Amino acid sequence: MAIAREAEPVGSLADIKEAGLDREDLLGIFRNLVLTRGIEERGHTLYKQGKIPGSFYTGRGNEGAAVGVATAMGPEDVGTPLHRDMGVHVVRGVEPWRIIAQYMGRADGPTKGKDGNVHMADARLGLIAMVSHLPAMLPVAVGCALAFRIREEKRVAVGWFGEGASARGDTHEAMNFAGVKRLPVVFVCDNNQWAYSTPTYLEYATEYVADRAKSYGFEGVVVDGTDVLAVYRETKRAIEKAREGDGPTLIECMTLRMEGHAVHDDASYVPKELFEEWAKRDPIECFRAWLKENADFSDEEEEEIRGEVKKILNDAIRRAEDSPMPELSSLLEGVFATPEDLDTPHHK
Amino acid sequence: MAVKTYLQAISDGLRQEMQRDERVFVIGEDVGVYGGAFKVTQGFQEEFGAWRVIDAPLSETAIVGGCTGAAIMGMRPVAEMQFADFISCAWDQLVTVAAKQRYRAGTPIPITVRLPSGGGFSGGPFHSQNPESSFAHIPGLKIVCPATPADAKGLIAQAIQDPNPVLYFEHKHLYRRIKDEVPDERYTTPFGEARVHREGTDVTLVTWGAMVYTAAEAAEQLEQDGVSVEILDLRTLIPWDKEAVLRSVEKTSKALVLHEDTRTGGFGAEIVATITEEAFEHLDGPVKRVTAPDAPVPFSPPLEKAFIPQVEDVVAGVKDLAEY
Amino acid sequence: MATGTAVDVVMPQMGVSVSEGTITKWLKQEGDAVEPDEALLEISTDKVDTEVPSPSGGVVQKILAQEGETVPVGTTIAVIAPEGGAGEEPAEAPPEPATAKAAEETEKASGAEGETPTDEKVEEAAPAPAIEEPKPAPEADGDGRREGKFVSPVVARIASEHGVDVSQVEGTGRGGRVTKKDILKFIESGAPAREAAPAPPPEAPEAPKAPAKPTEPAPAAAPAGAGETVEPMSAMRKGIAEHMRRSLDTAAHVTTTFEVDLSKVVAIREGLKREYEQRHGVKLTYLAFIARATVDAIGKWPWMNAELRGDSIVVKNYVNLGIAVALEGGKGLIVPVIKNAEDLNLLGIARAIQDVAERARTKKLVPDDVQGGTFTITNPGGYGAIHGTPIISQPQVGILDVEAMVKRPVVIEDDTGKDAIAIRPMMNLCLAYDHRLVDGAYAAQFMRDVKTNLQTWDEAAY
Repeated sequence: MAIAREAEPVGSLADIKEAGLDREDLLGIFRNLVLTRGIEERGHTLYKQGKIPGSFYTGRGNEGAAVGVATAMGPEDVGTPLHRDMGVHVVRGVEPWRIIAQYMGRADGPTKGKDGNVHMADARLGLIAMVSHLPAMLPVAVGCALAFRIREEKRVAVGWFGEGASARGDTHEAMNFAGVKRLPVVFVCDNNQWAYSTPTYLEYATEYVADRAKSYGFEGVVVDGTDVLAVYRETKRAIEKAREGDGPTLIECMTLRMEGHAVHDDASYVPKELFEEWAKRDPIECFRAWLKENADFSDEEEEEIRGEVKKILNDAIRRAEDSPMPELSSLLEGVFATPEDLDTPHHK
Repeated sequence: MAVKTYLQAISDGLRQEMQRDERVFVIGEDVGVYGGAFKVTQGFQEEFGAWRVIDAPLSETAIVGGCTGAAIMGMRPVAEMQFADFISCAWDQLVTVAAKQRYRAGTPIPITVRLPSGGGFSGGPFHSQNPESSFAHIPGLKIVCPATPADAKGLIAQAIQDPNPVLYFEHKHLYRRIKDEVPDERYTTPFGEARVHREGTDVTLVTWGAMVYTAAEAAEQLEQDGVSVEILDLRTLIPWDKEAVLRSVEKTSKALVLHEDTRTGGFGAEIVATITEEAFEHLDGPVKRVTAPDAPVPFSPPLEKAFIPQVEDVVAGVKDLAEY
Repeated sequence: MATGTAVDVVMPQMGVSVSEGTITKWLKQEGDAVEPDEALLEISTDKVDTEVPSPSGGVVQKILAQEGETVPVGTTIAVIAPEGGAGEEPAEAPPEPATAKAAEETEKASGAEGETPTDEKVEEAAPAPAIEEPKPAPEADGDGRREGKFVSPVVARIASEHGVDVSQVEGTGRGGRVTKKDILKFIESGAPAREAAPAPPPEAPEAPKAPAKPTEPAPAAAPAGAGETVEPMSAMRKGIAEHMRRSLDTAAHVTTTFEVDLSKVVAIREGLKREYEQRHGVKLTYLAFIARATVDAIGKWPWMNAELRGDSIVVKNYVNLGIAVALEGGKGLIVPVIKNAEDLNLLGIARAIQDVAERARTKKLVPDDVQGGTFTITNPGGYGAIHGTPIISQPQVGILDVEAMVKRPVVIEDDTGKDAIAIRPMMNLCLAYDHRLVDGAYAAQFMRDVKTNLQTWDEAAY
């Protein structure tokens, strides 16, 4: 018996309008979904061409959850997205060519070649770069919320984690602390059912991760992570609630990781039937169907969006490939911050 | 200028920073209503309110991680670990997140973590440690170990002002035992500048924290025997004042490093290595260490006394070197 | 030693790298009375042959290792029973403390001996020479502390900057070590500075200087005749000129030549070359084989590794092998020294030759690298020479000239014992020796051993 609330799907254009999105916004969401997948697909190709060093991770199957949450965030809100959340970077406006440059270890990637793959973020867009120790970003998100609370700003922090990361103590400390202080933070669990090869029943013993929220003194919600609009609507509610001082929410987005942990992993441990079942629930296809059914989404509109995305990606790859490798002189740059580094929007 | 305890100096320094910069806040276990386990923040909550003097749950990870997030959002957090020993619970936040964020993501993390450290009062294995060397090994962290009340005040201000994660090791044994003149006004003591605690000509003794006083007592005794010891108080380990150490070694040609932390991989090893690398042709004897042995800090008084370097140990070590 | 317990005599450690010793002679037999510190037996190790003093007074109760036996360092080789207690004491292991003490005593005894130059046997009475570099270096005790004449880095630096001979300075440090303060005081007192020695060939002590002609002014540059160019001699050229002349004036040079069949060495080198190059980064040259064979033969013919010092013959039990390296463009010759070559196997010597030759050519030798040679090898064969009469580097006794390896028809005995003509890689080795010390038969036997070593090269031994 789930303790968390199970969210409803969004029924109609009117419903979503009530939640704050008009038709233009919906087309924007479609574009962001297609762009998110496009970046990862093109990245995957570049990886197989030997143009991207290290490992390569994708968030296939999670695009709806990432884009849905990010769309609900306000411009002043901040977050700590993880490696399945490319959609967040896309929605917040990170330029695709810089993401590709990051993948390729180039000087123009957000980390200037100091870190790889999705370990990046543009602080100017309110995002904080993840570390590999995934739940470690939750206390950081809570700290952002603490700053907002101390300064009595109506801003909200969003912290992402997966069902695997839910097993670690950082997750508990972050949620407990946020619950105790009623901080303006929304916890988003990307539950894609597999932590590398470990299934959910080896990570937690409740029905849902979101069931835990009650024990921290706030609400837990389970939502279909392939339904971008349902994710958007629940996040929007949670963010507005936090903004008004009513404390945290834990939103659990149920998806399936449609590829391996990284591209070197064939995910042979995932039952074939599971892939087949979830393939029918592809977030982009589902949303496209919804748009056609509810918003008169025409083929011309779709073609135009897909064409635009294709052009963006072609440009991005060309520009990223033109970006130089980092100078060796940068090796020791920035080990320690200088007072000038504090001259950022956040440190005024 | 007034005579203050080491503890009062830390408290004063912290209070002045909070008064002049509203971005500064304090967070930790029992720091608010109770005023801190050692009373460093006594009266702070009354003065600054519960959202700037924050009583946290027993969650070192959330405290340090929270400080990191708040710092990214423009605050100047000061976390108190109730005992330096508990920093192990926040290792990941410091080492994985805070220390590397500027380098890889360009985001400075100006946080200060206060760490009541050191033994000498039967605190046992979990309330007596000096874990500075573990963190000295992590690029991106700064490490401060004041010995005098005046430095304690100046260095806490500098730590808070610094754009990096700073570990501020305050030695519990000095809290109320050491009193000295401390300027009333706000000031900062720069990082990376050693202080000559005592001038001498025969042997350079490099140390920090509470061991400065052990060294000073030993130097008094050694003077009777005609051995002149120069004591350098490093004040900060990262960065550490290599030039001052090398300058002194060039003068004396003999060096000994004293620390309360255990021996193997202690920060003394780094200093010794640097001296032998960079002042080799000035050496007139082996570079020595006097340290705690490689063991957890024992509880029982005679065992603890045998563990922590004592004045006699320092006298013996310096003499051996002087006679070499 | 007023002890009521039996004391073990153990095989002492004569140097850090020594792991075993051979008992050459028991000077006392079971039942003999022995005083503390009285010579008990003679031993032989890789490094030194010495007497072992008794760690305790009493009676030799038991001898546990016989003459000719080789035992690991630390092995109990005899038991000394306290006086009157002999016979009654069982021969089993005495209590631990006594053993430890005995070992310590032995160590002390050998340490004390180490202070006199154990590595140089001085025959006939002679004024004790000043030894600048005692070898083996005084060994560190458990504290990392060194006794005796260790020169610390700062003292070495000050000495070299001020040209001070550290042995002239009175030391007040532990064990008489010269401290920084000592040397600074010495310099302040205005003590005479030593002349900085030129890097090339080492000076012979007491060697007669070239006859001085005080009234003659410094020679002016010679005028150039038609078709001539004139350039001043470099310092190195002058040094070589002076040294070569002086050596001929000093030693009674005789040269003897041996023909060596290198077939076996060629085959072994073929087998090892790749491995040396790939695994060790070392080029295996014929010179390395010859150097190794020579050092081995020196072990049997110690006067080849000696010097005449006044009226004394000073024999060294270490071989510091000089390798003459020609500098490019005929600019001169430098002789870097491979210290303690007797410790090196073929790989070690090959590596050392490569190292010093490289450093000689890239001018990275330090003064210490060219001092203290005890025997020299020169290698003009590399340029095709087949015979030479080299000049000895003073104060050494011999120099071996390595000539070109040439394929020549030689008469050999075939398997059936019949003479046959075969093509063999032959090499001439020309030894110049100082007949003042070494006679023809001695030199020839030395060379015979070098030759045998090369012709019957035993891979396992080297």
